[in-house]
Amino acid sequence: MAGTASLQFEPCRVALARFLATASEAESVEIAALARLRGGALQENWGLDARFSGGSLDGEQRLVLRTSAATGIAASLTRRQEFAVQQAVFAAGVTVPEPLFASEDPAILGKPFFVMRRALGIAASDRITGDRALDPAFPAIADRLGRELALIHTIRPPQSGLAFLAPYEKVGPAQQIRRFRAYLDRHPTPRPVLEWGMRWLETHMLPPAAPVLCHHDFRTGNYMLDGAALTAILDWEFAGWGDPHEDIGWFCCKSWRFARLDREAGGIADRTPFYRGYESASGASIDPQRVLFWEVLASVRWAVIALEQCDRHMIGGERNLDLALTGRRASECELEILMLLDPDGISVHA
Amino acid sequence: MRDLPSGAALLPLARDMLINELMPLLPEERRPDALLVAKFMVVAQREAEAPAEMERAILREIELLCGPGSEAMRRFAGDLRIGAFEDGEARERTARAILWRLTVPRLRQSNPEFLAANGFDQKGGVVGRAKQCPSPVSG
Repeated sequence: MAGTASLQFEPCRVALARFLATASEAESVEIAALARLRGGALQENWGLDARFSGGSLDGEQRLVLRTSAATGIAASLTRRQEFAVQQAVFAAGVTVPEPLFASEDPAILGKPFFVMRRALGIAASDRITGDRALDPAFPAIADRLGRELALIHTIRPPQSGLAFLAPYEKVGPAQQIRRFRAYLDRHPTPRPVLEWGMRWLETHMLPPAAPVLCHHDFRTGNYMLDGAALTAILDWEFAGWGDPHEDIGWFCCKSWRFARLDREAGGIADRTPFYRGYESASGASIDPQRVLFWEVLASVRWAVIALEQCDRHMIGGERNLDLALTGRRASECELEILMLLDPDGISVHA
Repeated sequence: MRDLPSGAALLPLARDMLINELMPLLPEERRPDALLVAKFMVVAQREAEAPAEMERAILREIELLCGPGSEAMRRFAGDLRIGAFEDGEARERTARAILWRLTVPRLRQSNPEFLAANGFDQKGGVVGRAKQCPSPVSG
């Protein structure tokens, strides 16, 4: 948790300052502060305040250094790949911190990292969804997020800078289901509800969509607000080619509504302003049936991720209470799958 | 015969001490971690107090559907994967009922606030659809 990892060791700071100076063509760089930021279960984010003498970043700079946690899950991009995705969306005009430098040289920090500008504001999902002062602004924020998502989806394959992303044919819904089943086959505890949900997905499979760049974790908690102003969309580690409705279903699925389950667009608004922002910016219509499909898949996917997070504690050697408790969230996803696919069963079976 | 108070009964005492006496002494940035520990203690207490009979009853229902044995739950999951209950309405309805009965009691232990926010009362009945979540889940 906060401020305990090896980046505080002096050799790292010296090597990092030297790297930043070389990358920015500065005469020298002095690191004034380096402190772990909260959040980021899979990646570590460090607030980095530095003074650059000369070069492209001359002056005082507030930056973020992003590197990997001790253990991860299979679906994450590498930091170098995430940096490339962030460069692509920044170039497309998406509200994202400007990515500056990346390195895979183990001599600097012992693991790959990249550096970006630091956005102002908060991302904490409970604080955002529970902030009544933001109530009047939430519809406009939801509209803006819909527009941002449409902008992300303007990036389509092929992209030479994103050649490492798996082709859509290998990461579409049928392939995701195959991966989830393979995972559950290895898991010690059977999950009948997830199997039932995946069976429904399999028997209601969508015709393929023209793939776009999907964030794949576009949700409350992964954007920053400074007051009511959107300042950044964060955490691009799961980005890849996908169906545009995939991000819409993920944003709206119940797991990401936090303090406000009744506000179906990310816990901040109803779906109307979010859909309106997306449709007016993209010129495309949102199909509610496709969204439902992807919301069911989102609940299956988040359940599997929650179990994988728990595995990092149980079998990955990363002793961590937060990770251990995350595994129990799979049951929340299972309830949502039942409520979505068997709405009549709520009163009969509960 | 175990000593009293039981481990489950000691947990709320420990939790009270953590929240009321120790947490105020912690620096601000470590208080979320203390709340996480407190949350775990509630889950542990509920799991320790949960009646094992209910779990056994669900397992018996699964065995009736999928055959007896220690692997009944895994067989049930495998049958659901291949749609084995879709050929008969009664079997399909039974399988679905089991899914609900597996899920709701588990959440009653790990996150009853989530159940309540979804309109379920403490006994598992439905009181209305989702409104605000009184105790936000972490994430």
